[in-house]
Amino acid sequence: MAEQTSGPFSVPIRGPEDAALLVGRLSDAAQPSAVFSEPVTSGERTVITACEVTIGLGFGYGMGSAGGAEPVGEGEGEGEAKGQPVPAVSGGGGGGGNATARPVAVIHIGPEGVEVEPVVDVTKLGLAFFTMLGSIFLMAGKIRKAAKKL
Amino acid sequence: MARLRDVVEVRTRARDPIQVGERTITLQSKAVSVRWPGGGWVWNRPVAALVERDGEVERIPIVDVTRIAILAMVGATALLWLLALSRSMVQRQERKDGDGRTD
Repeated sequence: MAEQTSGPFSVPIRGPEDAALLVGRLSDAAQPSAVFSEPVTSGERTVITACEVTIGLGFGYGMGSAGGAEPVGEGEGEGEAKGQPVPAVSGGGGGGGNATARPVAVIHIGPEGVEVEPVVDVTKLGLAFFTMLGSIFLMAGKIRKAAKKL
Repeated sequence: MARLRDVVEVRTRARDPIQVGERTITLQSKAVSVRWPGGGWVWNRPVAALVERDGEVERIPIVDVTRIAILAMVGATALLWLLALSRSMVQRQERKDGDGRTD
């Protein structure tokens, strides 16, 4: 019942426009269709699953010159005169993101009515419980140490 | 304030109603979107199912039991930490006061 995560993947982004398009697709994740599955019907019963979806992504790029200039080696370039300096410009960029989806409830629709059955993420709860216990023991130990010092 | 609204958006949306037998079910979700130049973050979660039958609409909330339980655990831990801290501070103060009297 843990969060479903797929492995890392890469998408070629050739420029800021591609990146902006990708960020624009975040609005798809804000739609109800991202949360609710298509209804599955079997006989008189219909089931729809509901998930919590979290998506985050970002990118950045930069470009700049070193401030100085590098002389053109042999001056074979078309637009450049032989030996004239050309500014050294370089740039780069990158980005990353993460998406998770966790089942929250199952909606049963049958002849007797509509029922929402919660889905309990036992793994997540177990991890949170042991983290809580560890935190309490850590605190208790620190307080005991401080009390002994006094 | 207008700028904050451009960056952060909290919106409840409804999916197209589904007809199952005599019932019409409309599913609602709530999305929190944060946008900044060069990125964004979206948290979308189910909120409720609206069931319409014979002109009557019933709202069935979709409760995230896992999230509530985790929040309760975090709250209980924070409370215990605060209680333990305040108790140790009181004890420290009492001991200091006690030492002052004996001097």
